[in-house]
Amino acid sequence: MPSYLKHTRIVVVDNGASTIKLGVKGFNDSDSRVIPNAIVRSKGDKATYYGHEIEKCTDYSSLHYRLPFEKGYLVDWDAQKAIWDGIFTTDYLMLDPTESSLLMTEPYFNLPNLQDVYDQFVFEEYEFQSYYRCTPASLVSYGKLYREKGQPSPECVLVVDSGFSFTHVVPMINGSIMWEAVKRIDVGGKLLTNQLKELVSFRQWNMMDETYVMNDVKESCCFVSTQFTRDLDICRANPIGNPIVQEYILPDFSLNRRGHVRRPDEMMEDSYQILHMNSERFAVPEIMFRPDDIGLEQAGLAQTIAHSISLLPEDIQGMFWSNIGLIGGSTKFPNFCSRLAAELRTLAPVDSEVKIYESSDPILEAYRSAIAFASKPDFLQKVVTREEYNESGSNACRRKFPDWKPKEGEAALTKGKVSVELQDVVREDEEGAPAHPGDVVGRKTDSALG
Amino acid sequence: MSNIIIVFFSDCGGQHRAIRNTQSVASAQLDPDVIAKRTRRHLDELERSNYSEPSALLAGEEDEDGTAGGRTGKGRARQATSDKRAAELGKKKKSTMNVRTAVLYKKSFTMLLDESGLASYPASVPTYLSAAAPPPKEPPRMLCSICGYLGKYRCKRCSMPYCDKNCEEVHDEARCERRVI
Repeated sequence: MPSYLKHTRIVVVDNGASTIKLGVKGFNDSDSRVIPNAIVRSKGDKATYYGHEIEKCTDYSSLHYRLPFEKGYLVDWDAQKAIWDGIFTTDYLMLDPTESSLLMTEPYFNLPNLQDVYDQFVFEEYEFQSYYRCTPASLVSYGKLYREKGQPSPECVLVVDSGFSFTHVVPMINGSIMWEAVKRIDVGGKLLTNQLKELVSFRQWNMMDETYVMNDVKESCCFVSTQFTRDLDICRANPIGNPIVQEYILPDFSLNRRGHVRRPDEMMEDSYQILHMNSERFAVPEIMFRPDDIGLEQAGLAQTIAHSISLLPEDIQGMFWSNIGLIGGSTKFPNFCSRLAAELRTLAPVDSEVKIYESSDPILEAYRSAIAFASKPDFLQKVVTREEYNESGSNACRRKFPDWKPKEGEAALTKGKVSVELQDVVREDEEGAPAHPGDVVGRKTDSALG
Repeated sequence: MSNIIIVFFSDCGGQHRAIRNTQSVASAQLDPDVIAKRTRRHLDELERSNYSEPSALLAGEEDEDGTAGGRTGKGRARQATSDKRAAELGKKKKSTMNVRTAVLYKKSFTMLLDESGLASYPASVPTYLSAAAPPPKEPPRMLCSICGYLGKYRCKRCSMPYCDKNCEEVHDEARCERRVI
């Protein structure tokens, strides 16, 4: 490790599809700044807000969102650069990026071509001195999620990360992700908010353009049902006077009044517009447990966890059942943990203990764990330095970062190279018996991978 | 493949209704592919960041703002949002070729996935493509497409579930315009 790295300040960025969690190690690091990862256009304000500037917004009606992430992966680098340009500055961070180190998260199974762009932005655009890139789950073992008094950290854990774009089940042994058992459900907060928007727009008010408002309704009202059909019956029997129904008072931005759930003693005013939240309260989060309710042909969360564990070595499966941890904003729905525990109990072997660990702040869990990791003395030995990048480019990052990446042989298997090899094969085959082109492709590709 | 259409005989809907549905199911040959396509379209809609198309919402602001992507109405290449932003912030740095390429040529996730070459990896290597959760074990529940409660019937034209006569009427009036046949 070069000696100048010893006193480097470390910037920690959990770069999520919905929010960026950002802070500097040793500098008010327990409270990260949570910044929308979006460029937002407010019609009412006639203004565009980049990332953290959203706090200046006064009119949240019909906001237009431009998100750098699509399906959980960073695809719009123009938008991401516009947002990063505002935060990777000396003014905002109170330090010079070119003299500091960066710890940045990436999605699970990040595409290899996108990983390269991450590296290019960090070193070529913002010129950080050194950097480390990994997934949120691989940071969790440094944090407090599994810490119990007097107990060492468990060796085998299974992290459920349910965020904005999707939900991942991530088993780990001694901090290393078991990628062959990592499974993804394509349900996250974005889909749930959009589903809620559709339901209320059909049944009550047209809220299709009110993503901001409906996200707040989702966060304030929705919960996970522990007995879905019973709760449906309760709602159906008496749609107005049942214990589940809530009245959400919609915001009035012209009066600067925010939306909220009506309190029991709150007087109603004529100007109030009410959104009745009945079965919608639990039918929306239900999709995480039953994705087929909306036609998505994927198993629910509990079944997916059971499936993931079944792919792990049999003699240690029991340890995963008893070390399940929840992170990500979509695990915050009330009753999420008890519903999951009840479903897992029926799927787990009788002699296995099922235990679920909840974070005090599931959104910040990965960030706080990242701060703990950055505080370890060996963190700076794991980073890639700007010199190393200048010398060997993204190969330096592939060599050093432990999370998912294309293997040596596969990394070289770019599209161009495959087609060159195929041409060679076709020429060889022309001499012999004419072969079916499809067979040639299959055979040669396999052998090229060796 | 008509076995995906399940008609429950129930006590509250009356026998004749159930019989009627059975008959109509038999006569209306619903193509599972068409239904799968409709479901796919709905799932794609649930991925959208905005309901209104940017062109409709930001028409006229596009030139000044550049948020809509692509080219402006006048045919010249748009200014990248991040360039405008960098100018506002007074950032002078000239970006490298790699960064400029990423900023100027946006690719959709489908394109990037295609270019990543993951599809040619051997099946033993776990990737994004192999990581999707397995299909569910239980048969799907029928939830009324109108009110959300447990449904018992399916529309004979579009096979969407509904629960009773009221919801059937609402469905016929409001939802069945999305008919698939």
